[in-house]
Amino acid sequence: MTIETADLGKAVLVKVAGRMDAENAHEFEQACEQWMTRGTKHLIADLDGLQYVSSMGLRSFLSVAQKLQSNSGSLVLCGLHGLPRQVFELTRLIGLFSVFDTSEQALATL
Amino acid sequence: MDSAARRLNLPARVESVAVFRDFVRSGAAEAEVPADELEKLDLVLEEILMNIARYAYPPETGSAEVAFAPDGPGKLQLEISDWGNAFNPLDVEPPDFSRGLAERPIGGLGVFLVRSLVSSIAYRREGDRNILSFGFPGPGE
Repeated sequence: MTIETADLGKAVLVKVAGRMDAENAHEFEQACEQWMTRGTKHLIADLDGLQYVSSMGLRSFLSVAQKLQSNSGSLVLCGLHGLPRQVFELTRLIGLFSVFDTSEQALATL
Repeated sequence: MDSAARRLNLPARVESVAVFRDFVRSGAAEAEVPADELEKLDLVLEEILMNIARYAYPPETGSAEVAFAPDGPGKLQLEISDWGNAFNPLDVEPPDFSRGLAERPIGGLGVFLVRSLVSSIAYRREGDRNILSFGFPGPGE
């Protein structure tokens, strides 16, 4: 899994690619928390390159989203497709997130 | 599962998941499981094996065994065993989907995903062994 982040002003873009599983899901959480401790309220997770996510990854998305929401912020998702999208749909987590096709669309709503 | 099944026994640790995955993928290739199902198979394995690694034994102890056999064109029958406390994962309550983001519990999604992605699943206890057997792929979309 690779994680790249970029400060877009109103939000920070977190691009996640590859496989998010039990061994590495904590890396996503840590990357998000580094920005949260610097005062970032809105994160956009770009999942276009994400091929695989297991329940340990879902826990990380939920945990980050809950922390941001409790601080009047949000975690929004974009580029969700393939197996990761199916996993978000099966677990009905998809209804708990704002989901957009692109990061530009996501940024425009913040 | 009959004696023709292939079996692999490894320590019940997160590091073993990738080795089990490669082992089962070799069988999936021989059984000609469709390529677009392979990551779902990875997911089912990871969820079951991580439950064993986290809950079946005291930390850093115990083992898990994965066995599989072809079950008709494109299909595998699998069995995952551990020797921890008796535990039937199929007794786990499904997640409470009515809760909003703030109240949604962070756990409990793994077993639900497994049940959604397999064609049939059964638990039995034999002596000191928990055995979860299931068919793959699942029913599809």
